[in-house]
Amino acid sequence: MHTGGDLLIIELGAVVLGLAIVARLARRIGIPALPLYLLVGLALGEGGLVELPASAEFIEAGAEIGVILMLLMLGLEFSTHELIVNVRRSTLAGIVDFVLNFAPGFVAGLILDFDPIIAGLLGGVTYISSSGIVAKLVADLDRIGNHETSVVLSVLVIEDLAMVLYLPIVSGLLFGGSVLSTTLTVVVSLAAVIAVLGVAYLFGDRLSAIALSRSSEALLLTLLGGTLLVAGLAGRLNISTAVGAFVVGVALSGEIVSRARGLLLPLRNLFAAVFFVFFGLQVDTTLIPGVAVAALAIAAVTVVTKLATGWIAAGRAGIGKPGRLRAGAALIAHGEFSVVIAELGIARESNLGALAAAYVIILTLVGAVLYQFSDSIPVSRPRWRARAGRSS
Amino acid sequence: MRKVTETDLPGVGIRFDLQTDAGRCIGVVAHQTGRRDLVIYDERDIDRACESVELTEDEGHTLGELLGGSPVLEHLDDAVHQLEDIVISWITIDSQSALGGLTLAEAALRTRTGAGVVALVSESGSTPIPGGEERLEPGDTAVVVGVPSAVKAATRLLTLPAT
Repeated sequence: MHTGGDLLIIELGAVVLGLAIVARLARRIGIPALPLYLLVGLALGEGGLVELPASAEFIEAGAEIGVILMLLMLGLEFSTHELIVNVRRSTLAGIVDFVLNFAPGFVAGLILDFDPIIAGLLGGVTYISSSGIVAKLVADLDRIGNHETSVVLSVLVIEDLAMVLYLPIVSGLLFGGSVLSTTLTVVVSLAAVIAVLGVAYLFGDRLSAIALSRSSEALLLTLLGGTLLVAGLAGRLNISTAVGAFVVGVALSGEIVSRARGLLLPLRNLFAAVFFVFFGLQVDTTLIPGVAVAALAIAAVTVVTKLATGWIAAGRAGIGKPGRLRAGAALIAHGEFSVVIAELGIARESNLGALAAAYVIILTLVGAVLYQFSDSIPVSRPRWRARAGRSS
Repeated sequence: MRKVTETDLPGVGIRFDLQTDAGRCIGVVAHQTGRRDLVIYDERDIDRACESVELTEDEGHTLGELLGGSPVLEHLDDAVHQLEDIVISWITIDSQSALGGLTLAEAALRTRTGAGVVALVSESGSTPIPGGEERLEPGDTAVVVGVPSAVKAATRLLTLPAT
């Protein structure tokens, strides 16, 4: 007996197994898995090798949950206090980072004759480095103790925080109507974000205590339900679901954070992978050859501007030249946020999707390789050193 | 204690750096999870961690003991923990203190300052909730509890010569 349900499960099984294979492959050759997930999505989409008629809807819903979980987990890494301290300490580095790296995308967008809002999205795509990929590279290469790492992490925190303002603004611009109503939407959504962050700062501890439960099951459901609800409402208000989820993560503090990480990580890994596949699915692959040169050019420019950003930021922190180079190289990898931003505009400008997919694939790979070999002497590290972790 | 530089690692924890007289740099990364990394920096590129050893909380304590006698106690010397408006302070009794060598009953710290001694810590061990016959030996550490002004007064009596 064949029903639609069977087909859905078969398709999902095949896709997830495919992702498992590329994840293993990525690990084997020592690169992030994200670009390979995108490639899987590209291969499966319209004009690709195989199509997925039965599971498309499920994958779309899964992708939205993926974004929410990625941002929730990112928010869990930070407390409001930490965010405030960081913004105060690294304002200048943050501004340099924004100016140097938003410009290439924005200018390229205008040259490619996108409308200004889409160019603004492309600016966001080139601005934001991938906290996820960078954090993983730093840990895998044992560079947490390096002096430049604190600078890199500070820059990433400011970028993530900038997204909290950027996403509501672009959502407002994209989905707003007249100039007046758009301005109103943007102002209202920014006010809402600031209000929610204020609530998180004042009542985060109490909320965390209320949400905490000894039962893992109850805790998981509370976290998931609460976050989806807040994210959904934020999406309704054009603040963007991603920002809603991030703020929930920031608001939580104390014991609940470590428990939440453990509970949510497997779900995050699954749904984030689904999100990257979904993005790849939406990209019209026939457009990629047309934007390949542009993608390469923008990627080349961003490699330089990110290197400059790291060089300047680390220099201000009194770090030597090799460290400044490493800081720059660390910031090159672009990933999840670039895809989240491009996803917003893909319906309006299909070239943006193709361009962003190519760009992210290039920069994750180049970034990972450059950071690995950014030391003056490219020593390959013995395996035991990186994997010495042992629980007691 | 030597000067230790402290740097925030957002989302990870705190890094402490120490420069030795010989020009080497050693660091400890204290993760929020309790994990500690002992980091040795490169001689030629002082920002690069050429060796990083992951330690559990327990291993970290053991290494600390091995390296510096009882660094935890030293650290507690100037540690002041504030709970709402009650202060707990670890005070090393100075040899110049007028109360040095007196028993707790003779010193009458609580009557004089309002702060009570809840424990005495010496090299031979610690005495929680000491009785009036216990002595305030110079060099030992008194754990004192009270409101901030009382603890301040007690600290003055235990560390400064009588005026």
